[in-house]
Amino acid sequence: MPREAATMSLQQKVSVTLLSVTTVLALLSYVILNAVVSPAFDNLEMQAAKTNLIRVDRAIAAELDNLRRISADWAPWDDSYRYIQGEYPAFEKSNLATTTLVELHVDLMIFYDASGDLRWERLLVDGEVADLARNGVFGLGSATEEKLIRHESVDSEFSGIVHTNRGAMLITSQPILTTNGTGPVAGSMILGRFLDSDMVTQLRRRTEVDLVWHSFDQHADFHSVETKKLLESDVGAVSVAVSDDVIDARSLLHDINDEPILVLHASMPRSISALGSRALNGALLFLAIAVVIVTAVIWLLLRNIIVKPLESLAGHITNIRKSGDLSRKWQINRRDEIAAVATEFHEMTVELDDARKLLLDQSFKAGRADTAAEVMHNIRNAMTPVINGIDRLGMVCSVTNGMKVEQATAQLADPACLTERKDKLLQYIASAFRHVEDSHAEGRNELAAVSTQARQVEAILSDQERHAQVSPIIESLELDKVLDEAVLVIPKRKTPVIEIDVQQEIGRFRVQGQRVGLMQVLCNLVLNAYESIARSKSSSGRIGLSASTETMGDVEMVRLIVSDTGCGFDAARKQKIFQRGFSSKSGNLSGLGLHWCANALAGMGGRIQAKSTGAGQGAEFHVLLPAAHQS
Amino acid sequence: MNGHIDNDHIRVLIADDDAHILECYREAFLETEPTGVMKMLDLLSAELFDPETDIVEATKFDVVSCSQGDEAVTLVGQAASDGRPFDVVILDIRMPPGIDGVVAGSAIREMDPDVEIVFVSGYSDVSRGELERRVPPPMRLHCFSKPLSFMQLAEDVANLVRAH
Repeated sequence: MPREAATMSLQQKVSVTLLSVTTVLALLSYVILNAVVSPAFDNLEMQAAKTNLIRVDRAIAAELDNLRRISADWAPWDDSYRYIQGEYPAFEKSNLATTTLVELHVDLMIFYDASGDLRWERLLVDGEVADLARNGVFGLGSATEEKLIRHESVDSEFSGIVHTNRGAMLITSQPILTTNGTGPVAGSMILGRFLDSDMVTQLRRRTEVDLVWHSFDQHADFHSVETKKLLESDVGAVSVAVSDDVIDARSLLHDINDEPILVLHASMPRSISALGSRALNGALLFLAIAVVIVTAVIWLLLRNIIVKPLESLAGHITNIRKSGDLSRKWQINRRDEIAAVATEFHEMTVELDDARKLLLDQSFKAGRADTAAEVMHNIRNAMTPVINGIDRLGMVCSVTNGMKVEQATAQLADPACLTERKDKLLQYIASAFRHVEDSHAEGRNELAAVSTQARQVEAILSDQERHAQVSPIIESLELDKVLDEAVLVIPKRKTPVIEIDVQQEIGRFRVQGQRVGLMQVLCNLVLNAYESIARSKSSSGRIGLSASTETMGDVEMVRLIVSDTGCGFDAARKQKIFQRGFSSKSGNLSGLGLHWCANALAGMGGRIQAKSTGAGQGAEFHVLLPAAHQS
Repeated sequence: MNGHIDNDHIRVLIADDDAHILECYREAFLETEPTGVMKMLDLLSAELFDPETDIVEATKFDVVSCSQGDEAVTLVGQAASDGRPFDVVILDIRMPPGIDGVVAGSAIREMDPDVEIVFVSGYSDVSRGELERRVPPPMRLHCFSKPLSFMQLAEDVANLVRAH
């Protein structure tokens, strides 16, 4: 994290955001699956339970239909019709027997004549012939019996469930008619089948439902919610009770008088919801794994593609801020928007660097101009009294102009000159001398005043010299860029032909120095090298520029060598080469001088050395400056 | 402020922040009182050698000086109200800490369109064109650079007053 002021890093923000989104997504998925999908499984399960009971109900109805079809074979039959009317007594012997019931899979067969008298009956209980009244099936004289025994028309037919002492029975009653279905109604034929354990087994097998039933009167809990709900519902309604493991479905069967007679009860294990729950858990697990994987992938992608490069870029910017080196470039091999931002930033900093250098130059020049203006103002002010003093000195010097001392002396020597005139002439000469003496004294005073003003000028110059000792601004400089500007000073002349040999790796060296000063030093050295080659009368020459690093004490220094193939110098000249005012140059190419260069480099914490193996052997000038850290 | 008044003299106001310079101005512009020896010499010379020679009267200046631009503006205003305006105002351009000579000259020009304004400066970053724009008219504006001979300046001032 480059700056401590930021309370949350980009990496943390990305992590928190991804974590929040995935958590919300997981919770949302969990809620949706449990609120929508899981109830759908429950509904499906309850619907299946209801369907099971409906199938049982239909199976019972099918049994009743089967019983009705058997009855439809026997009741509208001329043989049955004649038998009831007493015209076919042999019918009983040939058709009515216990085996008939067994073959027809019925438990009850009864024939009544039109007056309601019993003509033939047979009841089988557990395969054995049983008494009707004792088993509470018929012969009790109930209204239901009357309803079944007497048919008012040929279309009359009754079927349903009745209650017996041996339990509920499917029963059907049809009028006995001719085979053509014509009447009058001769009697009634009743067929019945117990809803016993065999029937339950049979229904279980057919419907594949774990079915039980109970007598409504004996087993129904009249106060239970399910029973009340069933009693208030339409016929065929199914009530479902759900527990953790089982779904209990109940429905009511009504008797032939639409009174509740049986409670059907089917229990079903909650296999569908269990399956659904497993499916949901599997889906949630898959979703969780997917979310974790996607989150991890997104996090890694964001980390590697965005966050790390941005951190690197932020570090790069921080380094630039700390070092003040605006020429540093972000070293990363990318071609995306972040790289574009970095490139734009680099170009901006380069422009800013150039602008800063320009500003420094301008500030430097402006400072110099201001200083020069101030110095000129002060010196001119100081020089004005000097000039006016000199004017007055000139007047003093011309004090004898117009005096006629020589003429007066000549007249005194004339014997013809009268005494009175001689006295005045002597008085004139004396006054002239006194005036000259007075002017001489005045001139001394003026000279002293001029001398004082001259010292003021010197004081102003000394003051400026003191200000000139201000430390230069030291900055990190790329050596190659300073040298690029320095070599521009080489004159573009036909001879000598100059080869500039710059070390390839020189661009990686940075020094701490004052840019303008160092550039002036290097310009001076390069120009000296050129002039040395030119003085050697050679038609061509080489100027070499190379650099290396070395440690001097605890300081890492950069050694820049400016070499030439020019005149060189001997040991005697080497002793004087950095002295003030020393020069071996001729012509108009002279620069600032090596004395100035040495002082300027000393001001930057550096130094300069001169090396030559002798006259005509070329020379090397070594510039040593503190190294600046590489980016 | 220093000076004396005479109706036959050229009235000059000088503003410069350097006291030594002001002293030089006064020495150049004010007439030196002849000593007794000089008077005696002049009398004897006239009597003995050239009795017909006319003594030429030198130009006389009425000099008022100050060290700041705003003082100069005040003095010009007072002189105008007294009915004795200055003939020439000599201004230094840089006179810290007060207003500079150009600002003072501009204010003086507004009060007195006829006065001759002379800028004398050791250094100025104000061009001649800028001076003419701010202190018109050009014919009554004159510029000199230090160092200069104030004796010569006194002669020039006398000449330009006579010319107008």
